[in-house]
Amino acid sequence: MNKRAVILSTIIAFGFVLVLVRLADIMLLNHERLSRAARLQQVVSRDIEVARGTIYDRRGRELAVNVETESLYCEPKNMDAPGKAAAMISKLTAIEHKTLLKTFSSGRGFTWIRRKLDPDVAGHIKRLELEGIGFKTELQRFYPEGRLMSHVVGLVGIDNQPLEAVELRYDDTLRKPGGMVMVLRDASGMQISEGMDTQARGNSIVLTVDSGLQYIVEEELQEAMLKWNASNAVAVMMNPYTGEILAMSNRPTYDPNSPAESSSQMRRNGAVADLYEPGSTFKLVMAAAAIEAGAVRPEDRFDCSKGSIKVGKWTIKDSHRQGVLSFKEVVQKSSNVGTIMIGLELGRNKMVRQAENFGFGEKTGIDLPGEAKGWITRESPSEVATASLSIGYGVAVTPLQVLRAYSAIANGGVLVTPHVVSEIRTPEGYPMIELKPDAGKRAVSAKTAAALKEILMAVTEQDGTAFEAAVDGNRVAGKTGTAVMRDGNSGGYSKGKYASSFVGFVPAEDPKMALIVVIYDPKGGYYGGLVAAPVFKNIAEKSLAYLNVPRDDSVEQNILTVRAEGSRQ
Amino acid sequence: MPFKTYDRWLLTTALLLMGFGTLMIYSSTAVLTPAKEKSISEFHYFTNHLFTMMVSFAMMYAAYRLRPETLRKLAVPLLVLSLALLLLVFVPGMGVTAGKAKRWLRLWPSTFQPSELVKLAMVIFLARFMSGQGYRADRFYCFAVPVSVMLMFQCIFLLQPDFGSTMTLGVLTLSMLYISGIRMRYLLVLLALAVPVVIKLLQEPYRLARITAFLNPWENARGSGFQLVQSFIALGSGGLTGVGLGNSRQKLSFLPEVHTDFIFSMVGEELGFITASAVVALFAFMFLRGILIADRNRNTGEMFVYYLAFGLSMMIAIQALVNFFVVTGLAPTKGLPLPFISYGGSSLLVNMTAVGILLNLSRDGQEKKPQAVDRFKEAMRKKKARRAVYGEGI
Repeated sequence: MNKRAVILSTIIAFGFVLVLVRLADIMLLNHERLSRAARLQQVVSRDIEVARGTIYDRRGRELAVNVETESLYCEPKNMDAPGKAAAMISKLTAIEHKTLLKTFSSGRGFTWIRRKLDPDVAGHIKRLELEGIGFKTELQRFYPEGRLMSHVVGLVGIDNQPLEAVELRYDDTLRKPGGMVMVLRDASGMQISEGMDTQARGNSIVLTVDSGLQYIVEEELQEAMLKWNASNAVAVMMNPYTGEILAMSNRPTYDPNSPAESSSQMRRNGAVADLYEPGSTFKLVMAAAAIEAGAVRPEDRFDCSKGSIKVGKWTIKDSHRQGVLSFKEVVQKSSNVGTIMIGLELGRNKMVRQAENFGFGEKTGIDLPGEAKGWITRESPSEVATASLSIGYGVAVTPLQVLRAYSAIANGGVLVTPHVVSEIRTPEGYPMIELKPDAGKRAVSAKTAAALKEILMAVTEQDGTAFEAAVDGNRVAGKTGTAVMRDGNSGGYSKGKYASSFVGFVPAEDPKMALIVVIYDPKGGYYGGLVAAPVFKNIAEKSLAYLNVPRDDSVEQNILTVRAEGSRQ
Repeated sequence: MPFKTYDRWLLTTALLLMGFGTLMIYSSTAVLTPAKEKSISEFHYFTNHLFTMMVSFAMMYAAYRLRPETLRKLAVPLLVLSLALLLLVFVPGMGVTAGKAKRWLRLWPSTFQPSELVKLAMVIFLARFMSGQGYRADRFYCFAVPVSVMLMFQCIFLLQPDFGSTMTLGVLTLSMLYISGIRMRYLLVLLALAVPVVIKLLQEPYRLARITAFLNPWENARGSGFQLVQSFIALGSGGLTGVGLGNSRQKLSFLPEVHTDFIFSMVGEELGFITASAVVALFAFMFLRGILIADRNRNTGEMFVYYLAFGLSMMIAIQALVNFFVVTGLAPTKGLPLPFISYGGSSLLVNMTAVGILLNLSRDGQEKKPQAVDRFKEAMRKKKARRAVYGEGI
């Protein structure tokens, strides 16, 4: 070879060596840095989409399940005939033709047209086999019972994000966060690998609510709503010993299967979120405080024959003029005059303390979101304030708080923690966690509770305020309440608007259920004994039958049933 | 080093590279192609490539059978043919435009890129010209003719426009003139004259952008530096052993032209530094075999064969080097394929033809034909010897 050929060959050889050196530099020395850059652009992390767990009622009926639905999307850049597609889809989905055409002609990439489509419509569109139109299977939450229990079960949004009630409060459980997945993407940002683990399912939840009882409650409440043309209504049924919510119903209500049609007002769970002045049902506090303090005995007599009492510059009347009443009769006939007399004698502090012992002014701890805690007026302990408190004004409570206080009387004096979830199960259906709230503190002594129960039973007797609440066959203990409602805007009392309520438990001697019914702003009648008590009665009668609770006078009560050991096997 | 028949090392190297290339073409196109274009299967590019390979083998064998003397006679007609084909690209209906460039000729069922053929024709022409009777390295005329031919082709390339081929052809031509012993003065003057032209050409905005992107790719990693940065990321994430065959993520539209110009980046990503440097080494080895063939013929005084062998080796080596330089950021981005490995029929066809010619030239003149009879005798002798040791049982 000549010299120049050698030089040239050397240059070429040098070129190859240079490439090798450069490769070593990029691939070995800068490996870490470039790998990081690679991961940064190739991999995106996505939350694992977990199928939400099922929600069951206490009898194992499904309240919230998942169904596979088709969601319609388009890729305008792949569409060959946007006009035709727009016309056809517009006809089938009732989306405006103009809107569709605009989307289809945009030349963009992936765009949703309609999520979670009706299966029939999806089938029709599929058969058209349009270019650039596709379907993606998504899980949709379906509530087989619809409106029933919607305020307890709650609902989710279009992306399965929790919005209300148990769905919201127990979201972590139902979704059992699967963590993150690393998802490969290409340069245009398209996802290459599927991030969703189709096998991932959240845990299931078993509610304390019985959909049979719920149905009874809903039906009766609806009837009362129509009958009294009320603005709102609440009914809550609870096991007074355990705090298990057996039924919880609100009016207005909503259908969780069509979230778009419900307003936040409709979704509001008044049983835990709405505060009201309880009125006469709060006289329990006065009575309990008085008995606890040993200030009165049931036989003590109070002269209410004036029919009114002057406190400060206010005069408070009884609804019906009474004569001389015993302590028991003061409660039975819900005499304001008598109550104020006792209340003033007791003093404010004792009543406030008793109210706090009953759990007023603090959250009940129910496992539902949005609970209000209420308040007891902290203003100067004037006579007026004391008098107001004794008859249930100047306090704000939730229906559930009132129910809890009466449950304490039913169960012998203990404050329970209301709850709606009893058990969490694995996706396979095995029990995982049993939720049993601790027994709460004592509200009144067992003796006081027994005495109060005796008095409350009198309320539903012939000469009580709530004979309407009496159930055929079982004794009912309870109390009516009729309170003037506060005007939401001015804060003052509004004329002619009442919150009528009845709270009680049945059977009184061996309570199976505690129940509160509150009807807001009924028209054509407002006494709790007239408006709410019949609702209580109807619900109680049907529920007792549903639960197979024997009548108090049933002969079978006295029959001891003995199960033979051998018959078990 | 005399060969009994032809340079088997060279053939092995070429076949290794081509087989490897086929694998990488499948890897680079199988995943994304069906996703992008519904009518195309994952084997679309792969089967196309296999077809090209068959044709290339035929071309290689034909070139191998061609006597150097015939080739010498064909030099000028071949040059004229390549010129004609190159001009046909501009005929409406014949040329195929991709991007802004008109580089391909419609050739049912495929396309052909005449610029690839031009390189081969130029090498053969130069070899003939420089080995001619009248060639005097110190005469300006002998310098002017090849340079004029070169400039003519370069002008046509620039019209397409194809800056990469322009540069490659220039380097190739000047290298061959250089080894023929042309006066350095001529070369230096020509280079000096070329400077303003290159500067003028570089003022084309997209070329300028490529230069700045080359100088500092990370500055604008999402814009003009995108291609180079993606190539770096591909190579870099490969490391020593790679992410595994078929596991490249950069081929998911991150790497531009992953099955053609930037296939080597994907090789680095999937198979790592070891394999990537082996590929570089194979090209270097191929170049070495090529110049050894050339050198042997120079010693026998066959100047045409010498220049031809040297030129063809240079042609393959320069193309490979330019591609390596581009993907590793040693040279500005140009659209040039990696010989034997990139997808692209014209390149494979021309380079395999070159290998065929080199294999032919590697045969030790015409006097040492393979002596089949001798080899048969040898085999029989060995067999007898074995039988003597082990007996009839074998």
